[in-house]
Amino acid sequence: MQGNAMTADLPTQYPGRSFHAETDAERRKRGQARKVREFFQSLFSHAAINFIGLFFLIPFLWMLITAFKSSEDVFHTPPRWLPYDNVRVEVNGEQLPLYNVQTEAGVRQLAALKIVEGVGTFVDPADPSQVMEYEIQQGAVKIAEPVMHVSFRWRNFTDAMARGSRPGVGASFWVYFKNSLIIAFFSIAGTLLSNTPVAYAFARLKFPGRDILFVLILSTMMLPFQVTMIPIYLFFNDTLHWGNTFLPLIIPTFFANAYDVFLLRQFFRTIPEEMCDAARVDGASEWQIFTRIIIPLSVPVLATVTVFTFLWAWNDFTGPLLFLTSPKNFTMALGLQDFQSQRTMIWNQLMAAATVFTVPIVVAFFFAQKTFIQGIKLTGLKE
Amino acid sequence: MEGLRMNRRLTWPPRLPKWKHRERINFRIGMLFLLPWTIGFLAFTLYPMVASFIYSFSIYHSKQPLEWVGLQNYAGLLKDGLFWQSLSNTLYMVAIGVPLTLLASFFCAVLLNLKVRGQSIYRVIYFLPSIVPTVASTILWLWILNPQTGILNTLLGYVGIQGPNWMSNPDWSKPGLIMLGMWGMGGAIVIYLSGLQDVPVSLLEAAELDGASWWQRLWNITVPMVSPITLFNLITGVIWMFQYFAQAYVFRGSHSLGYPLNSTLFYSVYLYQNAFLWLKMGYASAMAWVLFIIILICTLLLLKVSERFTYYAG
Repeated sequence: MQGNAMTADLPTQYPGRSFHAETDAERRKRGQARKVREFFQSLFSHAAINFIGLFFLIPFLWMLITAFKSSEDVFHTPPRWLPYDNVRVEVNGEQLPLYNVQTEAGVRQLAALKIVEGVGTFVDPADPSQVMEYEIQQGAVKIAEPVMHVSFRWRNFTDAMARGSRPGVGASFWVYFKNSLIIAFFSIAGTLLSNTPVAYAFARLKFPGRDILFVLILSTMMLPFQVTMIPIYLFFNDTLHWGNTFLPLIIPTFFANAYDVFLLRQFFRTIPEEMCDAARVDGASEWQIFTRIIIPLSVPVLATVTVFTFLWAWNDFTGPLLFLTSPKNFTMALGLQDFQSQRTMIWNQLMAAATVFTVPIVVAFFFAQKTFIQGIKLTGLKE
Repeated sequence: MEGLRMNRRLTWPPRLPKWKHRERINFRIGMLFLLPWTIGFLAFTLYPMVASFIYSFSIYHSKQPLEWVGLQNYAGLLKDGLFWQSLSNTLYMVAIGVPLTLLASFFCAVLLNLKVRGQSIYRVIYFLPSIVPTVASTILWLWILNPQTGILNTLLGYVGIQGPNWMSNPDWSKPGLIMLGMWGMGGAIVIYLSGLQDVPVSLLEAAELDGASWWQRLWNITVPMVSPITLFNLITGVIWMFQYFAQAYVFRGSHSLGYPLNSTLFYSVYLYQNAFLWLKMGYASAMAWVLFIIILICTLLLLKVSERFTYYAG
């Protein structure tokens, strides 16, 4: 009946098409066709979402896998999807790597005592007194090959963090990590302290010239950093002699910025005006309204600002590159770049350090997923 | 009238006759609240702008006094082959990288908006790379793009494609960087996704009843409805791409800036090289102002052109 009622209306809405009441068989057929179509649509969308998902997932996993690889495995071609390490056996209280060696008596598993200039000194793990020497390679034929097994080398993380970006710099990645934390902490403090009163004035105080100033503050967003970069660098470095300290990275955060002012102002405006007016009638000063009413009601947006300031400070590369010159002051970003810019790449340690660099942000994301997404929607922050 | 003018000159804040008592008080309080920004604006925006403008007309090596040379820096830019190379590298990224990334992020958002089991997990997977710090993600991609031991060429090998030498072939370094950018486009996807959720379901359902195919609904309803977001992502993408720096700086590895063969010498990289490696502060300042003007023109142009393609509901 419903079907009939609908089709009765339709011809007037769609002149030129002819309609007839649908029979049960036709309806069933249509239903089946629809099911088939939905099945293929769902199949396609699942395939697409998974396939593209691999593009996002695999590099991430590859960073983790490489971070666990042994140095023997890192340069294995073709690359292996799991971290492999040389099997080690205990011989006379020493952990020695195990090799498959082609001996006169066929392939034997021997432990390598040392390998010098292509010649390996091996012992039989079962009979440590028996010492043999073999060339590792004869022409293109490998005589001795390490015995590998799947093994996660956690030591890469401690090794990477204990080393510096270059040999003998006297500062380790732990120091860079600490430096990054210090800069991020003070940046968050500065951003929260300086942006909230400014945003309050734009959101809740009515005074002549306010809107012109607000346009001015927003227009500073348009200005590329490159324009102000050189004078700011010269000012901090040559005038104040703050080169190679954290101050040029921290101090500017104490003077408000357009993005956070805008974000906070938008939120403050959603707090009912009547609450502020009621407080004003009761004789509260603007400062009291700001600290006692607005701030306590703004925890979600303050969390967003905190998270994004952390993200920004933690991620920042250009600032530290300009101002920090000695390795003891490097941040994680700068240290990692310095580590990577050397001719010999220790990829497993590089990836381990990169993982340690990434983990705080991923942890923050899982604790404050909503805050992240909200912040991106509000500011349209990229990268 | 005379008295009023006297008053204006002598009192601060200037006593404009229209101001009410309340407004005057609010102005003073407001100025106090705005103090952090005012100082910051003067010290970190206005002063640097003026200074950089002056530098751009002079030869300035930080330790020596300023030498006024008029338009010499700007004229020098026109004759500087590396300047044009860096500009064309940057335009390559703006003209190819930004639209490709925009399209890809829209497509990903459409996928993530489908009713698929485990939708929230997929959203996390698509988003997560965008919060990996720039230096870490660039180094990771250097490792992935490694021609011998990298997984990208290995995967391409599985399907019978001989992958290029991403890092040392100047034709492939920029596509490599674009891929790195796409890997971290989670932010743009999230913005698109929020826009897709605002597309009225009633419109889509009505179109479906009328027999519009999935593609027709996407092209005729969804795309126009999210066009303001496309414009936003496009403009922020273009502005950001003109200032592209950290990725390119890290991507060269142990080689000199712009490796291979100046193919990653982007505008900001060349500016940095002039300012901080060659200490040509005046020349670099001129470059910065040219960049500002280019960005300004591009933004205004995009806003103007977009008027015809953007649909604002309500």
